[in-house]
Amino acid sequence: MLRLRGREYGPDATLVMAIVNRTRDSFYDNGATWDDAPAFERVRAVVAEGADIVDIGGVKAGPGEEVDAEEEKRRTVDFVAAVRAEFPDLVISVDTWRASVGRAVCEAGADLLNDAWGGHDPRLAEVAAEFGVGLVCTHTGGLAPRTGPLRPSYDDVVRDAIDATVALAERAVSLGVDPHSVLIDPAHDFNKNTWHSLELTRRLDEMTDTGWPVLVALSNKDFIGETLDLPVGERLTGTLAATAVCAWHGAQVYRVHEVTPTRRVLDMVSAIRGVAPPARTVRGLA
Amino acid sequence: MIVATAVCPHPPLLLRELTGAQDVAADLRGVCESAVSVLLATPDLDRIVVVGGADASGEGLSGRVPTRLYAGAAQRGLRAGSRGRDTRSGTGEPLPLSLGVARRLLDTVAPDTPVETVAVAWDASAAEVERVARSVAGGAERVGLLVMGDGGARWGVREPGHLDTASVDVDEVVRHALADGDTGALAALDPEEAADQMVAGRAALQVMASAVALGGASVGAELLYADAPFGVTYFVAVWSCASC
Repeated sequence: MLRLRGREYGPDATLVMAIVNRTRDSFYDNGATWDDAPAFERVRAVVAEGADIVDIGGVKAGPGEEVDAEEEKRRTVDFVAAVRAEFPDLVISVDTWRASVGRAVCEAGADLLNDAWGGHDPRLAEVAAEFGVGLVCTHTGGLAPRTGPLRPSYDDVVRDAIDATVALAERAVSLGVDPHSVLIDPAHDFNKNTWHSLELTRRLDEMTDTGWPVLVALSNKDFIGETLDLPVGERLTGTLAATAVCAWHGAQVYRVHEVTPTRRVLDMVSAIRGVAPPARTVRGLA
Repeated sequence: MIVATAVCPHPPLLLRELTGAQDVAADLRGVCESAVSVLLATPDLDRIVVVGGADASGEGLSGRVPTRLYAGAAQRGLRAGSRGRDTRSGTGEPLPLSLGVARRLLDTVAPDTPVETVAVAWDASAAEVERVARSVAGGAERVGLLVMGDGGARWGVREPGHLDTASVDVDEVVRHALADGDTGALAALDPEEAADQMVAGRAALQVMASAVALGGASVGAELLYADAPFGVTYFVAVWSCASC
């Protein structure tokens, strides 16, 4: 069972987490939602498309423009408060590794801290516990924030991801975070080459078998681009294929750029798995 | 003798769990439940018999609603409620679809009502229809009859067995007969013509006509539904017999 903002989701529920970047330089949207107005439009659009969660981020994941904690707060805190005011029931996640930013966004109304850099700042989990919000525990293979992979190697990347994320999850619970609000994320591409990310996808059932709800962030990433030899902007079909496989393996939360296609894939896979009914079946039944 | 009858169709999609998230046949099911309610409200019934088409004629059939034949076993959405097995569907071998849909309607309208079940072969001859009709109508003074019988599937271009031309529209004959309480018109249906137009309810409707005619009473008829929303013609009707 997953619990976010007081709502409970059964093990077969799938949730779409829509990415809302408050950055000038993120790889996919290149600053499209840097200004407040388009950022708000993005939130309204993804909510209308059925997103369950928005994930607001103030710092590009990869190397780029230096963003210190104060600047990160400037980019995210007031925006979180405004989104909270306009959407009282929406689950708001904030993508940050800094405890000081986590504290400020929780005060502004965030429900979930997406610690995309895998516990780099150990106090972030304490903030989640203090504010009674959820926490995403990711596998970064020891990489420092905003650095890229250089010849990462693993005896068993899946085992490594499980051990690291479960350890982070158990630590968070020991600090007082609600165990039903802790997710684990294998973090495709983060200190991984494409072979590693493909294997994580192929063997994602081993992660879901841990019993922790699994979040996957696949959207338009390089492992998809390299697999299909396609640039950013042409990776939607590859993203959706990977989404379907993760859904088949039981992942619950999908951090995405494109909400509607993701929702359709998830609903389709849920029906194939037999955990949710098709929308309307008449063919051959008249 | 027969004192009241109800006619209902038996498409799989009347089984709520087979149409997914949307209840596409809610209206039709509501009319069917009304018809069954009217039948069961007939005073002083000694015996209630359900007649439906099947691959072979037979009596005293019991078993489960055949949901799984149409949707497989693994679909979690097919379980009634979220826990455990579907207690609505019964146990044992699957009933013929016609009797399974009847059972679901009866369980919804009046659970635990004792009924007898009779199957009549889709292709039953006039003699066989007559034999089944005598069995159905006899044995009690006041018999209520629930008849599960579908109309045709070959008229509209979207229908499963689209047919361009035919000299007689069997569905039209059935519609008028059910609306007018005309047992003779039902008895006169040509089995081959009905089969050509995929009128699956021909034999069951003729059992009704013959069983009612045996009592000699005049019929008060009400046709509650006649339409083909999904390509197969469905009729819902109730008859009451004047001498009761």
